[in-house]
Amino acid sequence: TFFGQSKVTGTVTDEANALPLPGVNILVKGTTTGASTDFDGKYSITVNEGDVLVFSYLGYSKKEIIYNGLSPFNVTLSEDAGQLDEIVIIGYGTTTRKDATGSVESVTAKDFTKGNIVTPENLLQGRVAGVTVNTSGAPGSGSEIKIRGGSSINASNNPLIVIDGLPITNDNIGGSRGILSSINPNDIESFTVLKDASATAIYGSRASNGVIIIVTKKGKSGFSADYDVQFTFGDIADQIDVFSGDQFRTIVNSQNLPDSFTSQLGSANTDWQDEIFRETVSAMHNVTVRGSLFKALPARFSFGVTKQEGALLTSQFDRRNLSVALNPSMFDDHLKISVNANLSYEDNRFADSGLIGAALRYDPTQPVYDPTSPFNGFYQHTNGGTLLSGTTNPVASLLQTNNLGDTERFFGNINFDYKFHFLPELKAVLNLGFDETSGWTNNNSVFATTDDISANKSVGFQNRKNQSLDGFLNYKKTFGDIEADLTTGYSYQRFTNDGFFSGNQLDPLSFGDTYADPDIVLIGFFGRANFKFLEKYLLTATYRRDGTSRFSEDNRWGNFYAGALAWQISEEDFLKDSETISDLKLRVGYGVTGQQEISQKDLFLSRYQGGNNNSLYQFGNTVITSLIPSEINPDLKWEETKTLEVGIDYGLFDNKISGSLNVFQKDSEDLLFDAPVPDGSNFSNRIIQNIGNLRIRGLEFTTNVDVIQKEDFSLNFNFNATILDREITELAYGQDVTTGGIAGGTGNFIQLFREGEAPNSFYVYKQLYDNQGNAIEGAYVDLNGDNIINEEDRYLRADPDADIILGFQTNLEYKNFDFAFNLRANIGNYVYNNVDSARAQYDLLQDNSVLGNIPTSVLDTNFQTTSDVINSDIYLENASFLKMDNITLGYTFKKLSNVIKSVRVWGGIQNVFTLTEYSGLDPEVFNGIDNTIYPRPRNILVGANIKF
Amino acid sequence: EDLFENEGAYRQVIAGVYANLALTGTDGAGSSNIEGIDAGTSQFGRVLLYMQTLSADQMIWSYENDPGTREIQRNIWTAQNPLILGMYSRAHLTIALANNFLRETTADKLDSRGASESVRQDIVAYRAEARLLRALSYYYMMDLFGKANFGTEADAVNTVLPVADRAQLFDFIESELIAIEADLIPAGANEYGRADRGVAYMILAKIYLNAEVYIGENRYTDCMNYCQELLNSGYTLATNYKDNFIADNNTNSAVNEIIFSIVSDGSTTQNYGPTTVMINGSVGSLEVNGVEVGVVQNGWDGALRVRKEFAELWQGGNFGDDDRNTIISANRPIGITDIADRDTGYIIQKYSNVTSTGQAGVDQTFVDTDFPLFRLADVNLMYAEAHLRGGGGSLDVAVQLINDLRTRANNPNLISSTDLTLPFIIDERARELHWEAHRRQDLIRFGLFTGGSYNWAWKGNGSNGIAIPNHFNLYPIPNSSMSSNPNLTQNPGY
Repeated sequence: TFFGQSKVTGTVTDEANALPLPGVNILVKGTTTGASTDFDGKYSITVNEGDVLVFSYLGYSKKEIIYNGLSPFNVTLSEDAGQLDEIVIIGYGTTTRKDATGSVESVTAKDFTKGNIVTPENLLQGRVAGVTVNTSGAPGSGSEIKIRGGSSINASNNPLIVIDGLPITNDNIGGSRGILSSINPNDIESFTVLKDASATAIYGSRASNGVIIIVTKKGKSGFSADYDVQFTFGDIADQIDVFSGDQFRTIVNSQNLPDSFTSQLGSANTDWQDEIFRETVSAMHNVTVRGSLFKALPARFSFGVTKQEGALLTSQFDRRNLSVALNPSMFDDHLKISVNANLSYEDNRFADSGLIGAALRYDPTQPVYDPTSPFNGFYQHTNGGTLLSGTTNPVASLLQTNNLGDTERFFGNINFDYKFHFLPELKAVLNLGFDETSGWTNNNSVFATTDDISANKSVGFQNRKNQSLDGFLNYKKTFGDIEADLTTGYSYQRFTNDGFFSGNQLDPLSFGDTYADPDIVLIGFFGRANFKFLEKYLLTATYRRDGTSRFSEDNRWGNFYAGALAWQISEEDFLKDSETISDLKLRVGYGVTGQQEISQKDLFLSRYQGGNNNSLYQFGNTVITSLIPSEINPDLKWEETKTLEVGIDYGLFDNKISGSLNVFQKDSEDLLFDAPVPDGSNFSNRIIQNIGNLRIRGLEFTTNVDVIQKEDFSLNFNFNATILDREITELAYGQDVTTGGIAGGTGNFIQLFREGEAPNSFYVYKQLYDNQGNAIEGAYVDLNGDNIINEEDRYLRADPDADIILGFQTNLEYKNFDFAFNLRANIGNYVYNNVDSARAQYDLLQDNSVLGNIPTSVLDTNFQTTSDVINSDIYLENASFLKMDNITLGYTFKKLSNVIKSVRVWGGIQNVFTLTEYSGLDPEVFNGIDNTIYPRPRNILVGANIKF
Repeated sequence: EDLFENEGAYRQVIAGVYANLALTGTDGAGSSNIEGIDAGTSQFGRVLLYMQTLSADQMIWSYENDPGTREIQRNIWTAQNPLILGMYSRAHLTIALANNFLRETTADKLDSRGASESVRQDIVAYRAEARLLRALSYYYMMDLFGKANFGTEADAVNTVLPVADRAQLFDFIESELIAIEADLIPAGANEYGRADRGVAYMILAKIYLNAEVYIGENRYTDCMNYCQELLNSGYTLATNYKDNFIADNNTNSAVNEIIFSIVSDGSTTQNYGPTTVMINGSVGSLEVNGVEVGVVQNGWDGALRVRKEFAELWQGGNFGDDDRNTIISANRPIGITDIADRDTGYIIQKYSNVTSTGQAGVDQTFVDTDFPLFRLADVNLMYAEAHLRGGGGSLDVAVQLINDLRTRANNPNLISSTDLTLPFIIDERARELHWEAHRRQDLIRFGLFTGGSYNWAWKGNGSNGIAIPNHFNLYPIPNSSMSSNPNLTQNPGY
């Protein structure tokens, strides 16, 4: 039947609140004719009566409606809890959640963790099973991000982060807080986390630790504007207990110290932690404008200003971001161009967090200021005007240090996506990426010392550049019952790094240094085939061949591949009409990915290194730059991780309950591991070699539940759980390797790599206790029974990694109110309390020539001497915890005027509470060793979001 | 290959072999090209001092939380000990660097690069010195471990090396040192920082003196010959005993006494080597006498003290004015019952970062003082000992050589020929050469190190000293060194 073509217009609105939905994609099914809604939700498209119109919008259920000839043709869309049709970004292309064969999870703006989010990775915290984000309390600080615990030991454990097609480096730059700290979280549209090999193999060489794909917000044709503001008021929630001035006087007098010490007791009562920490006020402003430039060029501009004060006196993080996205389409949408440009300025003032240790140590009976002091009015320990050796006044150190770091970062990409005119099933994509960061550091400080040099003045500069070119062809076509999606491409990336550091310009013995790293070049060829049979059976095969400049020509290339099968069981006849099971998919995937990221860039080459100006030799009366050959391993090759994963994606009750369950095993083989070489045969006693195996086994469970989904009332929660076990299955020559350096002793360590054990297991002495259960100082169990307590009696106990990681978020919306909080728990993670082990002993009441404070936990042990007890398992604690990171409450005023569309005001608390048995400040530390962390302040947040 | 287009590179590369004795890495005192041990602690002279002196009766390290120190000074070490690993690896690195230099300077390579005649001239001595430094390393491996990974320039980089036992090492060291004699620069004639024939003679004298320990042979006559060779080589004792141990010991009268030193400079050759450690470490917790020795006031707050038995060597009235007696005892008990208590036990002030004219060194942590690895006074004592042990020479000369040392130290109590006995020699060696990394070797030669005939404070982990088994005469092969070379076997008893 022939129906006449007509131009139809209409409005797309949200079923829940009748607000117009901008940016909805509309496609005439079976054709390439499409359109999208403007800001007011309006669209127009040319269709035939009887055509099927497909309305799709991220996060909403796709709707297919037969056009009935009416105009306006208004449509409502409802939010889709299960998001089966949600577009999922995978490397070099997209799929839908329904068609994904790998372990892929995406988090979009509306699901981001809410709260005081200064750096983008925190949007993900606690949101995705298997992903941990550990951020320090310092303002704007970087995070340790791990996916499934990390698959390497000495090579990188960082996931690959790809921003708009540009893989970024994991190396930070001097002057900046972290690789993501210069990025404005407000500009991020979505995160996609690729976890298993079948998903990550397309990134082959760098995919072993998972991939995080970040997509920034794009330009839209409809006009909208947005102003977002947030103020944060922070305060330190907890302190490490040390003696107060009064208690200290009592303790010192009871400890039989020489008169030269007891006579130094002062009369003050200073809480040095109170003195170095402060209440903070921080603010973030973001302005975003979207719309069509010249009515033809969809664009987005955003400008953000962040000013964050650190809890530690003087520390500050300021950032300004400017971001532009242009998304023109040409030739009847055959050519889509996407330009993203981001400019960011980060201004930091760094405060030395080591001074937290000084505050714990400083004599509480002394005042902060002393008007008679020759040290700029700060109290310092002196004797007849000469400075005494010992800890110096931490407030003075903080206030007299001006350590600045300014960075300027430009990153962005241009993406050309061309659909061939003669063959619309085939498209070609070219992505050019660029990322350049320049950092300046400038330090001016004065310190109290008996040295001749009592000030530091130094400057530094560093420049990192990262350029990438990726091109691929994609062919999508349906042949009968088979849908094929084929991709093949090429990738090139180059990293450069250089800079200089002046050294202390006030110290004649300090020298400057200029450096330039060898460039790193990575080249890859890749291909992927996706097939779908009968809407039920999915097959993915991926291959990538990668080359790295880190290895010699013979070992440079690695082949990585993956395959996955998925069965959409719920499409089978026996389940198709099930009321209970709305979605059920079984996935099996296997793949091999690579790892080459070690700190050395040219270990395979024969090199000589000249000494710096402090490391020269002398012949006769002249100094000579001695040349020493560097360690060499010409045989270095790729570390490979083999991942086997079985997963189930499920949806129940019309996807009101949905989620997935994954079981996986990763085996990293030929680990790039720093292992011994025969002494005398190389230019070191250990070099990075391909030796050893690491096995990671885990189970991940995710569930999203829409408890209530009504027009005025919705409640949903997300729960995720990860069980993870990492074990070294083979180590070089079965040899233990020490790791985990600690404070208290030169070169002291507390952890070990050992075959058959978890990496970084704690290596301790077994404490002996008397009948009353009190620890006996320096007495340990003679584990090998030879009547001597020595290194052979240390044993391995527990490890820093949590056995179980849990995350929980809930969102409640009632009328105009919204309410959200999240909880996070780690179970079975152990922490070595280095704060106590290196400090809580009575001998340390003597701090060189002066008195020093110690933690009150010494009262529990009554230990006297650090060296007798420092490696005792008494300091190893179970640090399992439950944390509420954020809780927020908001109210939205809708349709206030013609200009102001809506205003949401909200308030919240960050770091609400931590439940733990751990005795230290915070159970969440890095690498399981707690040696005074920068505390995470409790923040009160208020904010507003105004839409125009 | 591009490197050697500039012929100055040969000098820089041989300097790199030397530098491994003084430095731990190329990026300052905190950098290291070996692992498994704290970077600064891995300095060659530092680990040697720990192996030879800290393990015996002269020294105590207060901070037993510095890994490995507790086990070394209490004689309860195991194959896990990082300091033992540091010794083994650092000495073998010199061997690897020397072999690399020898591979890069073969006649073929020099021909192919068209090396000039003048550089070829220099390279003759450089090659001999590379072999000398390699022999020096093997000497210490033979002494401390009784075996070594045995690599020469014939072995390619990154191969599993054969292992040489004590006797094979002895033969190799002996034959090498004799073979290179002609190519080495005459004793005392080389420029500062480089080794010459005097060093070769010294190592030969040492291996012959200890030959009964190493290979069960009496070689005292050979020892005597090389002692005489050294005594006739133009070396003279420094005017003042302390000149050997102060900031300008590279320019003052000690230059005539020191046969080979480990270079240290507060500016250009910064290291955490033995002199930096001993000068900062011996600053007393009570005395706070750092400024006196040219470092920060409190130094390292009493890190080093002496044991009772060493302190007692100076008692009895004869040593009150002896320059070698630098003991500070006021307000201190002589004994140490709690190692962590830095106010007990005597301290000494042998080394200093102040010059003979009273100038403090350029840096207040990294000292300018070189470590005298070998010096003439030791030759005097070896002569006397070799004579007593039947090596020939003259008794009168032996007595005179000892009295030369006492006279130089301003000790008026000279000895007569009847005083010259082996027990006297071991004590006099302690008085002259303490804290110079000789003591363990000396005690072993006298049969006093293991067993129970001489128990010093904290020997065998008892505050009054207890016997230790004989296998402690050798150190264990470090676990990681053994695992990476399957040809190595562990020393008996470990």
